[in-house]
Amino acid sequence: MLTVDLAACDGCHLCEKNCPFGAIVVVGKQAVVGDACTLCGACLNVCPTGCLTIERKRASAEELARYKGVFIVAECRERDGVIEPRKHVLELLGKARGLADKLAEPLKVLMLGPDDKPMNTDVLFEHGADAVIRYRNKLLEHYATDSYTTVLSAIIAARKPSIVLLGATPDGRDLAPRLAARLRVGLTADCTGLDIDDAGQLVQTRPAFGGNIMASILSPYTRPQMSTVRPNVFPVPEPKHGRRGPVEEAEVVLARGVIRTRVLEVETLKAAGDEGIENAKILVSAGQGLQNRDNMELVAALAEALGGKVAGSRPLVELGWIPHTLQVGQSGTTVSPDLYVAVGISGAVQHIVGMSSARRIVAINADPEAPIFKVADLGIVGDALQVLPRLIAEVKEAKGPLAA
Amino acid sequence: MHEIRCETPPAVDLSQVRCVRGRDVIASQYAPYTADESKMPGQGAEALFFPASEAEVAAVMKSMNAEGTKVTISGARTGLVGGAVPFGGAVMTLDRLNKPLELSHEGGEWRVRTEPSVTLTELGDWIKKKAFPGLKERGSAATLAALDAFRNDGKTWFYPPDPTEMSAFLGGTIATNASGALSYKYGATREWVRRLRVVLANGEILDVPRGRYHASPDGTFVLVHGDGSRSTIRLPSYAPPRAKKNTAGIYAAPGMDLIDLFIGSEGIFGAITECEVALAEWHGTVSVIQFLPDDEAALDFVLALREGLSADESLRPEFCEFYDGHALDLLRAKQQANPKSLDMPPIPSDAGAAIFFDVKFDPAAGPEGLDYSVLKRVVERCGSTFANSWACYERRDYARFKHFRHALPETVNATIGLRKKTYPTLHKLGTDLAVPDEHLKAIWHLYRDTLESTGLEWVAFGHIGDNHFHVNIMPRDPDDLAKGLAIYKTFAEKAVAMGGTVSAEHGIGKMKKKFLSVMFTGQQLEEMKAVKRALDPAAILNPGDILDM
Amino acid sequence: MRILVCVKQVPEVTDVQVDPEKGTLNREGVASILNPFCEYAMDLALTLKAAHGDVEIVTLTMGPPQARAALLRTLEMGADQAILVTDRKFAGADTWATALTIAEIVKKQGGGFDLILVGKHAIDGDTAQVGPEVAEILSIPQVTYAVALELDEKRKNVIVKRETEMGYEKVRMKLPGLVSVSKGANVRAVCSFEAVLAARSKPLRTLTAADIGLDAAELGLQGSPTQVVKVFPPTVKTAGERISGADPEAAAKRALAFLKENQFV
Repeated sequence: MLTVDLAACDGCHLCEKNCPFGAIVVVGKQAVVGDACTLCGACLNVCPTGCLTIERKRASAEELARYKGVFIVAECRERDGVIEPRKHVLELLGKARGLADKLAEPLKVLMLGPDDKPMNTDVLFEHGADAVIRYRNKLLEHYATDSYTTVLSAIIAARKPSIVLLGATPDGRDLAPRLAARLRVGLTADCTGLDIDDAGQLVQTRPAFGGNIMASILSPYTRPQMSTVRPNVFPVPEPKHGRRGPVEEAEVVLARGVIRTRVLEVETLKAAGDEGIENAKILVSAGQGLQNRDNMELVAALAEALGGKVAGSRPLVELGWIPHTLQVGQSGTTVSPDLYVAVGISGAVQHIVGMSSARRIVAINADPEAPIFKVADLGIVGDALQVLPRLIAEVKEAKGPLAA
Repeated sequence: MHEIRCETPPAVDLSQVRCVRGRDVIASQYAPYTADESKMPGQGAEALFFPASEAEVAAVMKSMNAEGTKVTISGARTGLVGGAVPFGGAVMTLDRLNKPLELSHEGGEWRVRTEPSVTLTELGDWIKKKAFPGLKERGSAATLAALDAFRNDGKTWFYPPDPTEMSAFLGGTIATNASGALSYKYGATREWVRRLRVVLANGEILDVPRGRYHASPDGTFVLVHGDGSRSTIRLPSYAPPRAKKNTAGIYAAPGMDLIDLFIGSEGIFGAITECEVALAEWHGTVSVIQFLPDDEAALDFVLALREGLSADESLRPEFCEFYDGHALDLLRAKQQANPKSLDMPPIPSDAGAAIFFDVKFDPAAGPEGLDYSVLKRVVERCGSTFANSWACYERRDYARFKHFRHALPETVNATIGLRKKTYPTLHKLGTDLAVPDEHLKAIWHLYRDTLESTGLEWVAFGHIGDNHFHVNIMPRDPDDLAKGLAIYKTFAEKAVAMGGTVSAEHGIGKMKKKFLSVMFTGQQLEEMKAVKRALDPAAILNPGDILDM
Repeated sequence: MRILVCVKQVPEVTDVQVDPEKGTLNREGVASILNPFCEYAMDLALTLKAAHGDVEIVTLTMGPPQARAALLRTLEMGADQAILVTDRKFAGADTWATALTIAEIVKKQGGGFDLILVGKHAIDGDTAQVGPEVAEILSIPQVTYAVALELDEKRKNVIVKRETEMGYEKVRMKLPGLVSVSKGANVRAVCSFEAVLAARSKPLRTLTAADIGLDAAELGLQGSPTQVVKVFPPTVKTAGERISGADPEAAAKRALAFLKENQFV
């Protein structure tokens, strides 16, 4: 329960203003907690005196059983004026549909966004959602840790789902631990496998030690069970056109005061509408074996000839040859293209985990011992600088003048 | 004992040995076997043998000896003096002899026995991980027991000789008595070799453990051949030079061990088919790049260190390497062009020279285990402080420091490479001279004063602790090259006059033979040839290396 | 100003070998290092110290006794003091239990910290969760993926340049707050021999469970809401066709054939 240290409380009203449920009122000079409190924890973050505390007891089996439903937090992008879920949300829907069916529980999507733009919820139903819980507020124009945590923890605390899944994207991994800590539940990062065991628990599987080892993880004592899930691991399910469901509006109060950060400047490296490397079908990815920044032109030329995009390994980001937005791997983007051409990339495990699910992998590297060859469908041991110009010419010739 | 019995290997028909024949095929498809790191242009080979066992090596040698075909032995071809570059005849590569054979604990030390074509990187890896591929399956009961004891002794071991080029084969480093930075503390390869098996030109084999065969008082060894006949090796009468490192000419000393005749002989007496080396215990070190005001301070550092250590050897650095002011300037220019090029912070602007050293260090030690006052005083006497240094003790940083050390020779080579586009005949002039301790300052002043007065572009670096500088002259045009060559010759003469050597570590091979006559008299060269004739009467092995027969 | 930098010691991941049968890690010969992203966090802390002078940098790690080495590295780099949080009772802590322990220690350090810096993630666990969880437990704001930061004039806010999927943004955050760091100095710091030696005389305190005052049920494995139930080696994709020693022309031809077979061309 939420308790107030009455001696410390100075009646500043901040908790009252920022409670998503209007559950706190200040009477006289002291905060009083009402029945609407869901223990979401938003007040603790705004209280200047530290007079609020939440005590939680380990939940009993009966209590745990009261948590029902699989929730997905939908990360959205605006496209042509419409708020839309990103591709990984659809992947999550496909996976979560199976989990929800096993549990015989509903699959719901939480969708947050500003209040002045339409939201495409249809696509969520078509990919498997049973219901969408929506929350719109002009303060949600941009993602901010504090606003999203406040709203989502409030909704989750009130609705008690058994599972909450987020994409393991940069924003997802910024938000999920914050959310889990506020709800005081376990969280498993960057899962690549999800299943339900015989006891109805979520089995979360993730790589550790740079992909050298896999671990299966349970959250036996807390609900909801929360995971971030790596994009580009699960397939996007076939949409069922015309499938629809209810859209509920969440009733939550979001006050400006909870947001303690402010974006001052945005520097965009990607062109508008450019989805970047995450969803590319063909990637030509460069590594240190290129030796010289000028040789990136060869990589770009091959990408162009194949109709793909340029990506690269972490060392190239550190050298400043490519921006971090093009980095494949553990600390960059996980990709799963149809074709991945690794040029001069030795293939540190941190890189391999970010691309090994590509459908076809071609690797060109001078070092026969390079680990990249272990995952390559076609491995060419040789000097990339010698092979590339010839390959570019071959591809161009094969594609013919029409392609050019 | 100065008599040794030759073994006769099991007979193998030459047709069993994998072989590629034809000058053109070899030149087009097996070109790497016709060149080495010296980039010396050779004349290719008619046949290329790939023996897979000692018996096959013997079969090749026996046949070539019988038909009088010259054989150039090919290892990893990392040599810098053209030793492995063939001028016709056959090439015999030992590539396929690359297995570990035995681990043992003898004479209070761990020893590893391997075939010759194990790279130093591989050997180091096996020792570090305490796992030798295939040895568990192949090894004798004694080896298995030794492996167990080795794994469980809780210590870290290493093979000290480190000639920088770690893709070199162990056999090759023994044949050339390789040395490098660590020789400052651990000596050259010679100190670590415990046993060799050598296939002679006639196909017979010598098994030579250290300590068993010593030269007779009159300086001879006697080979007892399989047919009972005997041949006598009469050793040269000269003594080794006083400089600590030397790879010039054939090793000779009164009462010497037979094994030392083969170590450093550059393969002109036989092919090594097995080598056993000793390991040393590894202790943690800190790697320090100590910046100093100028070159003179670096010389003072070495001298002060010698004096400082005379009372207490425990702080003797693993190595003691030098970069002169010109070298630092060259690296600074590289950093200015690209600040990330060396993966290091900017070289301090006030540094006029630098000494690199590794010294014993336990990162977990408290302040009481960290008494470096001897070194600190040495540094302060030379006008600098520990604050004006770079230090590291983690593996990933060692790699970075090592890379920084290698950046200089690489930059020199790249610079020459560019100039070669204008003047194809240009090449780098690198000295490999070493002198005895007392001449450190004299030889440096000779180098510096001579080169500064000529206006040539030059840098110096290398093993200052062993009085062994690598002076690199970087000619800008053919005039510079001619000037440089003449100067090089005078340097060699002066070094020899000081009791030094013309080749401290690179060897003689085919490219440095002209310097042998600076160091040895005609009579002494004849004595070397007599040894060669006793072991390889038809002079088929490594023709043109060291001696012109 | 006081800055706390929370760091982790990690194995050099590229070296880690997994026993294919047992699925366990073979740590023989594997070096332990300061997590690179934690080193970046130190870089940014030192940048602030260089710019403002009166900045005290305290570093903290929770781990086995050997984790002291990671703290020594931070002291060499320029931290003023360090705290090693070590106790067998902490063993098996997941990110929540780790964050709770660290947050509790932070609360107990008198004077408070104006800024907490952490690495974006640790290269071994790669959860990126402990930092945000600490921030939440301490009820302070966070900014993740920082590449640079500066203080505003009154030192009430920090202005953080952070990486985003689209590029960069500059964010202002109220202090006290937590920043996770994605990139540090251009070239990894090198310390002088003097700094290496001096680090070993700087204050380095050890705290145990007894110093924290949390219930034993909240610590380590017992206090962890997530539990690892199985560890196993990943399914490794088998290598496909390999071309070596071919001339570039032939290699390019084979590559084109492969692309055609798979209908990419």
